[in-house]
Amino acid sequence: MATTEVRDAAASEQVSASEIMVTAASMEVHDGEVAVVGIGLPQLACVLARRTHAPGMSMVLEIGVVNMAPVDTPVGLADSRIFYKATCWSGFLDSLGLNLHRGVVDVGFIGALECDEHGNVNTTATKGPDGKLVYFNGSAGGNDVATSAKRVVVIVRHGKRKLPKTVAYLTSPGFRDGKSRKELGLPGGGPVRVITDMAVLGFDNPERRAEVISMHPGITVEKLKENTGFDLIIPKDVPITPLPTKEQLRLLREEIDPKRVYLRGMD
Amino acid sequence: MPDKVKSVADVVRSIPDGSHVALGGFAIARNSTVFAHEVIRQQKKNLTLSQGVMGLETDLIVGAGLAKKIIVGGGSLDRFGPARCINRARDNGSVEHIDLSSLSLSFAYLAGALGITFIPIKSLLASEMFDRFEKSASEYIRKGTCPFTGEQYVFLRALQPDVSVVHVQIADTEGNCWINGPRWESEEQAKSAKRLIITAEELVPTEYIQRQPERTIIPGHRVEAVVHQPYGGHPTGVFGSYDYDADHLRLYANAHKTPEGMKAYLDEYVLGTKDHWGYLEKVGGLRKMDDIKAEAIWGY
Repeated sequence: MATTEVRDAAASEQVSASEIMVTAASMEVHDGEVAVVGIGLPQLACVLARRTHAPGMSMVLEIGVVNMAPVDTPVGLADSRIFYKATCWSGFLDSLGLNLHRGVVDVGFIGALECDEHGNVNTTATKGPDGKLVYFNGSAGGNDVATSAKRVVVIVRHGKRKLPKTVAYLTSPGFRDGKSRKELGLPGGGPVRVITDMAVLGFDNPERRAEVISMHPGITVEKLKENTGFDLIIPKDVPITPLPTKEQLRLLREEIDPKRVYLRGMD
Repeated sequence: MPDKVKSVADVVRSIPDGSHVALGGFAIARNSTVFAHEVIRQQKKNLTLSQGVMGLETDLIVGAGLAKKIIVGGGSLDRFGPARCINRARDNGSVEHIDLSSLSLSFAYLAGALGITFIPIKSLLASEMFDRFEKSASEYIRKGTCPFTGEQYVFLRALQPDVSVVHVQIADTEGNCWINGPRWESEEQAKSAKRLIITAEELVPTEYIQRQPERTIIPGHRVEAVVHQPYGGHPTGVFGSYDYDADHLRLYANAHKTPEGMKAYLDEYVLGTKDHWGYLEKVGGLRKMDDIKAEAIWGY
């Protein structure tokens, strides 16, 4: 593993890419904020944030669940396990309408089949070898989150096909054609970070194009380029993504996902 | 007081081929499997199905070849995998699909429920869903501007399904319904429809409803019929009543990978059973139902 500045001794342990991703994602939520999350790594990230630096943040699930505290690992948003110990049960109109569409959601996490150089996300369909679309799950709340959250964090595995120059189907807009959100007529701020198993990307440049914010330990610029389907903006000195602290790792492994249902998924 | 309790067979018989049926489940939660199965037994044809986050019930009906159009926000069987029958039908073009988002479906039902003809939304702007429908399905969505501020919006046409079918935990014979746990778009979907059918786990006396009327999400006067069917959502989970049946969902997720597998599944579990009681026996009977029965504290 590459030498890196870590906040404590976690580097001496084997840390998985999923654990680095979850920790990086958790740092995107600040105390007191409201987040709309899906199942999987985003949920782990928010629980981690609540248990560490952001105890006053709120989590909203699109199905209509607020601040749940499940004790058993759920298989999805539709699993009663994730309704446990919530402080509010409602529905889409409340979660995605009266909160998200209203403009009070600070950060939204979305997963992606594909994410392109302007942060546009596809969860609907990929292109088969014959050029025909092969359908997948679709938007659900993803487009709503991408439209209206003040900041969007995209979670996606790194790979040439996962990060193409242009998505095969634009389900959830980022900075489409490099345009500003205002030009696109979209109320939310759009993607601020794309967190992959190799790097953290951002769009804070005049072209609103993916730029490397940090690389995970052991990843090189060459490896990143090889695994990305578009030209990344790569600054001269790319910092290394901070590793989880010992306490963050302990929480993730022992309390938040002890069966590694989601942590294992991205490894 | 009107007694609206009917058999699911009678209810389904009353729905003409070609109807627009809104379904109340979400992925693997609170699906009206009892209704979907009966639709398949009676081979209702050319249905339009709508749903915020589609799940098993839609996959079953599409997999049985009985849907001509779906209006949906997306969906899957959660960790049991994609809704493969639906995806296959979209891939091969055998079903017309209006792909929207969870909130836009909710808004379209809300507009229908309010009796207004359209509703503005910011979702779908600058998305491919919008691009596609601007060309091909402008009967559902169009671009518009706010007459006061000039802001850009997507205008969604209101949805008023011919029938909405919502599975609930508790209803009385009049149709007053309690829904436990989160409700996704159940309320606005139910109230947008021209006819509302409830399938209920438990039938209670009205006096029980009267003790906590604040829990009534759907008032009886909106309801045409109540079907009483314990484990009517199996194998999906019904919060507070029972957990999803992981064994059966795995079996289904494996079977529906191919059209042949899906046909064999339907032949055995749906067409091969006379009614929902027969289906419940087939999938494990009382012992299985006791296994998945919800524990009082957890609700699953």
